[in-house]
Amino acid sequence: MAILELKKVQKTFGSGKTKVEAMKETDFKAGKGELIAVIGPSGSGKSTFLTIAGGLQTPTNGEVVINGTALSDIKEKKRAKLRLKEVGFVLQASNLVPYLNVAQQMHVLDKVKKGNMGREEAEALYQSLGIEHLLYNFPKDLSGGEKQRVAIAKALYTNPSIILADEPTASLDSDRAFEVMGILKEMTKEKQTATIVVTHDTRLINDCDKVYKITDGKMELHEIMRRTT
Amino acid sequence: MKGKGSGAMFLAWNEIKNNRLRFTLVIGVLMLISYLVFFLSGLANGLEQLNREAVDKWEADGVILTEESDLRLQQSILSTDDFDGAGVDEYTELSQLSAIASNGDKKVNVYIFAVEPDSFMMPNVTEGDNFAGRGEVIADDTLKEDGFKIGDELSLSSTDETLEIVGFTDKARFNAAPVLFTDAETLETLHSRKMTEADEDVVNAFIIRTDNLDDVEAAEALQVVDTETFIENLPGYTEQNLTLTLMIYFLFIISAVVLAIFLYVLTIQKISIFGVMKAQGISSRYLAGSVVAQTFLLSLAGVMIGFVLAVITGLFLPAAVPVAFNYLEMLVYGTVLIVVSIIGAFISVQTIVRIDPLKAIGG
Repeated sequence: MAILELKKVQKTFGSGKTKVEAMKETDFKAGKGELIAVIGPSGSGKSTFLTIAGGLQTPTNGEVVINGTALSDIKEKKRAKLRLKEVGFVLQASNLVPYLNVAQQMHVLDKVKKGNMGREEAEALYQSLGIEHLLYNFPKDLSGGEKQRVAIAKALYTNPSIILADEPTASLDSDRAFEVMGILKEMTKEKQTATIVVTHDTRLINDCDKVYKITDGKMELHEIMRRTT
Repeated sequence: MKGKGSGAMFLAWNEIKNNRLRFTLVIGVLMLISYLVFFLSGLANGLEQLNREAVDKWEADGVILTEESDLRLQQSILSTDDFDGAGVDEYTELSQLSAIASNGDKKVNVYIFAVEPDSFMMPNVTEGDNFAGRGEVIADDTLKEDGFKIGDELSLSSTDETLEIVGFTDKARFNAAPVLFTDAETLETLHSRKMTEADEDVVNAFIIRTDNLDDVEAAEALQVVDTETFIENLPGYTEQNLTLTLMIYFLFIISAVVLAIFLYVLTIQKISIFGVMKAQGISSRYLAGSVVAQTFLLSLAGVMIGFVLAVITGLFLPAAVPVAFNYLEMLVYGTVLIVVSIIGAFISVQTIVRIDPLKAIGG
């Protein structure tokens, strides 16, 4: 069953001569436990795709359905609630609050939403991400890789059904990049989330179930990975 | 928004804890403003007392003066026959003389009030005795600070007669000068010339107690005013009060603007982090609540420190500075400062509501 579905979604900016078609008509589906990569050169419309999929901007035409709810049917306030409940973002720029330590980054989510991970579950998450010893550190005391792992923990903490990661490995060296992708894959299988990773780094796609490619706003299924498992 | 661990306070408090210098500066500015507000309110209050405490002590409801006096006690000259007490519960006559009194050592500006010994205007004696014989006076006890004592012979600027201080009373300053209380006969001897014909008793005003000033029947050329109006028309009183009150009101506006600017700059710096949080689905309401909670904490801290500093300063000021704190008024002013600070924070709230999460994450 598809957790995230884009039906004939299309996005244009401006009008007349300055009209730019950022995303051509696209159909897209992501199901539970699927790790999907979206690749393409910069400026190809990857971010547009991700922000539309996450309900941060509305498409010009078409429909986005998250876990059965069509986004065009609800107002921004409800959309924010839906994001909080269903979507975990792992952003290119660190999405950590500078004045909260790692434990508090999660704690603030408890302030605004119920149904987050319990204590034991969260501790297991920190262990598998290797950040259990960093809980009282502030973002400024973390390395790039550590920040990215905390950001993943933060995205998963609310038990979302969809994870949207925008260049999650951009600031990392190769080893760290593979490590982070490995973690995302592991979490996708373990938590049965639909995980979509937008990246220009084609080395990372081997771990994914499907690969989509965007060129000039046109999105196409590029490859379905065959698995023996 | 209760407690530092819950709701919007969580973000607010943790941010303050981790940016001590920044927020100490904000609190510092608020502290200075509230210190000034409290100090000015104390000064306004002290100056008011200086002018009116003798009048307040009468606990009178109204004053009868001549129409042409323009409500100035000195300029009002009327006969004891002009009013017979019609329509009032109680009334008494007041005659006064302003003079410079000297004990040989120091000279002070004083008001000499002649009061009827068995009337409600008769002051309570806090030290020494009541005036009994000719030339005896009870003095306001602030004169003690100037070195005047019981038994002092006072020479006056306008006459060769002398007065003797036989007792002191408290809270008896009128229009910024201490009052000497005596009887009508003594006052009569001080006037360098008779004001009118010898057979007519002349006074400056009638002081009345009544429930309804409209019922008071006085002679044609007289006017009946309530005590508050009388006080407001004391020379300089209203001007002084308005000036200080205006300064205090300006400080309210200044504190709102200063805090609004501070918070706005802090909020601008946090746009990207707020945007990321909004992208995550954290509501504008929660983020705005945290800014308001933060403003509340900062202004509360600033106002409380300012209050303590003002009170401490008051203890160490020389008696010549007429600061008198009215704690109820300070509570009101403190609350107003906190409220206007929070109003100032609403500019930031608007900014937060307008943050587009899409821009924050570089979409």
